[in-house]
Amino acid sequence: MKMKFTNNIYIIILLWFTSACLEETPRFLEFENYEFEELDVNGGNWKTILVSNVDQIEVPAPKPVTSSEYVQELEAMRQKMNSQTAAERDAVRYWTNNPILRWNEIALEMAAKYNLIPGPNPDGTYTLPNPANPDGPPAFPFAHPPYTSRMLAYLSVAQYDALVIAWKHKFQHNRTSPYWVDSSINPAYPKSQLPSYPSDGAAVAMVSKEVLKMMFPLEHTFIDQKYEEHISSLENAGINVKSDIDAGILIGNEIMSFARQRASKDGMANAQTPKPVSDSIANAAYERFGWKWQNMETPQRPVGLTPLFGKVRMWHVPNVEEVRSDPPPAPGSAQFEEDVKELKKYAAHMTLDQRRIANWWEDGLGSYTPPGHWNKFAKLSIVKNKLNPLRTAKVFAYMNSAIMDAGVACWDTKYYYHYPRPVETIKGFRTILGTPNFPAYTSGHSTFSAAGATVLSYFFPDDEAAFQNWAEEAAVSRIYGGIHYRFDATEGTVQGRKVGQYAVNMAKSDGAF
Amino acid sequence: MKNLIYASGLAVLLQFIYIAPSQGQLPFDEIMMSNGEVCAALMFEHGTWNRYWEGDFLRENANIGTLTRQLIMPYVAVGIGKHVNFMASIPYVRTEASGGTQAGQEGIQDLSLSFKVKWLEKRAGAGNFSLLTNTNFNTPVGPYLSDYMPFSIGAGAPELGMRGIVSYRTDFGLVARTSMAYLWRGQTQIERDYYYENGSVYSSFMNVPNAVNFHAALAYWLLDDQLRIEATFQSLNCLTGDDIRSYNRPQPTNKMDFAQVGTWIQYYIKGRQGLGTIAYVNHTVSGRNMGKFTTVGLGLTYQFQAFNKSSN
Repeated sequence: MKMKFTNNIYIIILLWFTSACLEETPRFLEFENYEFEELDVNGGNWKTILVSNVDQIEVPAPKPVTSSEYVQELEAMRQKMNSQTAAERDAVRYWTNNPILRWNEIALEMAAKYNLIPGPNPDGTYTLPNPANPDGPPAFPFAHPPYTSRMLAYLSVAQYDALVIAWKHKFQHNRTSPYWVDSSINPAYPKSQLPSYPSDGAAVAMVSKEVLKMMFPLEHTFIDQKYEEHISSLENAGINVKSDIDAGILIGNEIMSFARQRASKDGMANAQTPKPVSDSIANAAYERFGWKWQNMETPQRPVGLTPLFGKVRMWHVPNVEEVRSDPPPAPGSAQFEEDVKELKKYAAHMTLDQRRIANWWEDGLGSYTPPGHWNKFAKLSIVKNKLNPLRTAKVFAYMNSAIMDAGVACWDTKYYYHYPRPVETIKGFRTILGTPNFPAYTSGHSTFSAAGATVLSYFFPDDEAAFQNWAEEAAVSRIYGGIHYRFDATEGTVQGRKVGQYAVNMAKSDGAF
Repeated sequence: MKNLIYASGLAVLLQFIYIAPSQGQLPFDEIMMSNGEVCAALMFEHGTWNRYWEGDFLRENANIGTLTRQLIMPYVAVGIGKHVNFMASIPYVRTEASGGTQAGQEGIQDLSLSFKVKWLEKRAGAGNFSLLTNTNFNTPVGPYLSDYMPFSIGAGAPELGMRGIVSYRTDFGLVARTSMAYLWRGQTQIERDYYYENGSVYSSFMNVPNAVNFHAALAYWLLDDQLRIEATFQSLNCLTGDDIRSYNRPQPTNKMDFAQVGTWIQYYIKGRQGLGTIAYVNHTVSGRNMGKFTTVGLGLTYQFQAFNKSSN
C-alpha cells in the first residue's frame, strides 16, 4: 500500500518534470524568406560610402539570355538544383534571399567568440593580442566594443557599396532571373523582378568573407566554408547562374580594395598605445583637471583599452572635437555627490527590474558587445519591414558607421577627461557588473546606443519610440550596474544622438530611403 | 536497532560550489527512519576556494581572490511507513569574493524534496545487505540569478535525480556503501537573451547539463551506535557542456566535474531521540570548470516520534 503511494508520487514528479516544456535555444534568427516590399529601381544612384566614383568599378555587360553561353549556364544550374543534397537544401533555407542578415549574424558570433580580455601572465604582466602573431596567446583580436564597432562598420559599408554598384548594373542590363527565362525552374525564394546580373548575393558573400577574414585572421577556414556554402546556395536556390555570380564576385573584389585601403590607414593600428603614451595622456588630463582614471584590476593593467581610438578616422563627423562632451562634474562637487548617492542606493537595494536591465544590456566580455545588440534590433526591423538587400545594407551601413563614430567620439571624450570609475571614487564599492578597463565619462553603452537609435529611428520611424526607449534603458543600465555615474550616461546619450544625426544627414542626402 | 537514527550523508552534497545544492541533499546512505519518526536539522556550512579549473587548467584569479560560500539550511526527514522516508530542505546561501570589485550574491536557493525507499534488506554472512533508491526533485525558489558565476548561489534549474544505493553492514558496525545517481537538469532562465556556447545562442534560457553522481563511503558505528564516523568519496560529472573560455567567467552551461574526499562524524547525545550533532569536512581533489573547494559543515539534529507512536 505504501509502496504504491510512493510509486504514484514518483510518477507525478516524473510527469511534471518531463512535461515542463524546454525553451528552444536557437543558434540563429529564425525567419522565412519574404517578398521584398520594394525593388528600388534607382538604387544604383544611391550614394556610396567607400567609393567616391562608382564608374571606377567596371562590370562587363552580360551575355543575353538567348546566347548559347547563357543556355549552358542555365542547364548547369538546373543540374545542380536537381542533384542537391539535404545539406545543400538546408543551406538554401538558411541563407535566404537576404543573406546580409546571415553574414551579420556570423560577424556577431565572431565578435562574441573573440571578445575575451587577455588575462595576466604568471609574472603579473599582460601580453596584448598581436595581429602579427594572431595565434597568441592571447589570440588576436580582442573583439572589444571599439574593435567590434569598427569591424561591423567596414562589413556593412562594404556590403552597401557593393550592392549600390550591383543595383546600378542590374537595372542597366536588366538581365532577368533564370526562372523567368525558363518557367520550369522553381526557385527556392519568392520570384522577383529584380534583375539577376550581377548577383547581389555573390557581391555580399565576397565582401563579407574578405572583411571578416581581415578582422578575424584565425577564422579563415570557417569563413571560407561559409562563403562556399553561400555561393553554392545561389545556384541551388535557382536565382543565379554562374555569370551572375562571377560578376557579383568581381564587384565584391573591387570594393574590397577600397575597404582595405581605408582600414589600413584609419588609425586603428595605433589605437592601443604603449605605456609611455598612455601615461602622458593620463598626466595631461591630471594637469588639466586634477584627476585621472586608473585600472583597478589585480594585477593592474598598465594601459587602458585603446587610448587612441578617439583618433581613428570617422565616417560622417569631420572632426571629433565637434562632438566632444563638455567637462564632467568634478569629484566632490554637488552634482557628483548626488550621483554617487544614487549609485550607493542601487548597490544597497536593487529591484529585480533594475537588475534585469543591467544584465540584459551588459553585453560584456564574451558577448557581441553593445554594437552587436543594436545589430540584432536592426535585423528584426529589417525582416519585419521586408526590406530588400540594398535597403538592408543601407540600414546596417549607416547604423554601424554611426555606431563606430559614436565609439570614436566617446573614446575621445573618455581619454580627454580621463574620469575615474565609481569603484575608484567610492571606498569599498562593489558592483554587479565588471568595471571596464577605460575611463568612465562618457558611457560607451549610452553613446553607441543613442547613435544606433537615431539611425534606426530615421529608417523605421514607426518604431522610433521603442528605439529611443532602448537607448535610454541601455544608458541607465550602466548606473544600475554600478559602473557609471548618471552624468556619464546622460551625456553619453546626448553625444550619441549628436553623432547619429551626422549619419542620418548623410543617409538623407541621396534623397532615397 | 537497524534504523537507529537518522540524518547522514545529507550534507555531503551541500558543498557543490556553483552547482551546489541544485544537486540536492539526498542522503545516499542506507539509513532509514522508522514510521512516524521525524528528524529536524539545521546545517551550517562554510566553503572556500582560491583556485578554480578553467576547463582542466587549475588557475588563480586575483580579481576573485578567495571565494567564500556560506550556507544555512533547515532540513527535515520523516519516516512514512516502514520503507519510505520523505526529506525536504531549503538553504539560504551567501557568496563573497576577497579580491576584485564585484559584489557577491545571497538568497534562498533551491527547495529540495526527496523520497528514499528501501526495497530490500537481506541477511548475508555476518551482516545485512540493503538495496535502496532515492528520488529527488529540486527547484529554485528565490529570484537569484544563476548567470552570475562564479558568485551565483546555484545553477537556477530544476533537477530530477534518480539514485540507487547498495550497502552492507557487518554485525560489528562497519558499513560499506556505494551509490550512483543520474541527474536530469532542466533550464535556467537568465537575464540576457544572447550568449555564447560554442557559438551564438539566441535565447534567455540556458541548458544545464545532465550529470552522474557517484558516492562511496566506509562507515563505522561506535559507542553503542551513538557515534558514526565515515570516510567518503564522491564525484560529479556533467555529461555535456562547454568549458570556461580563457580568463572568462563560468556559466551554467559549463561541463562541471569534480571529485571530493571527506570525513563525516555524527553523534547522538542520548540515543535515538533528542539532540544530535554532525560535523564534516570535504576537500576537492580534481575538477573541471569548478572551484577547488574545501568545505566544513556543522549541524544540529533533533529527532522525535511525531506519529504512529503506538507501533513504536
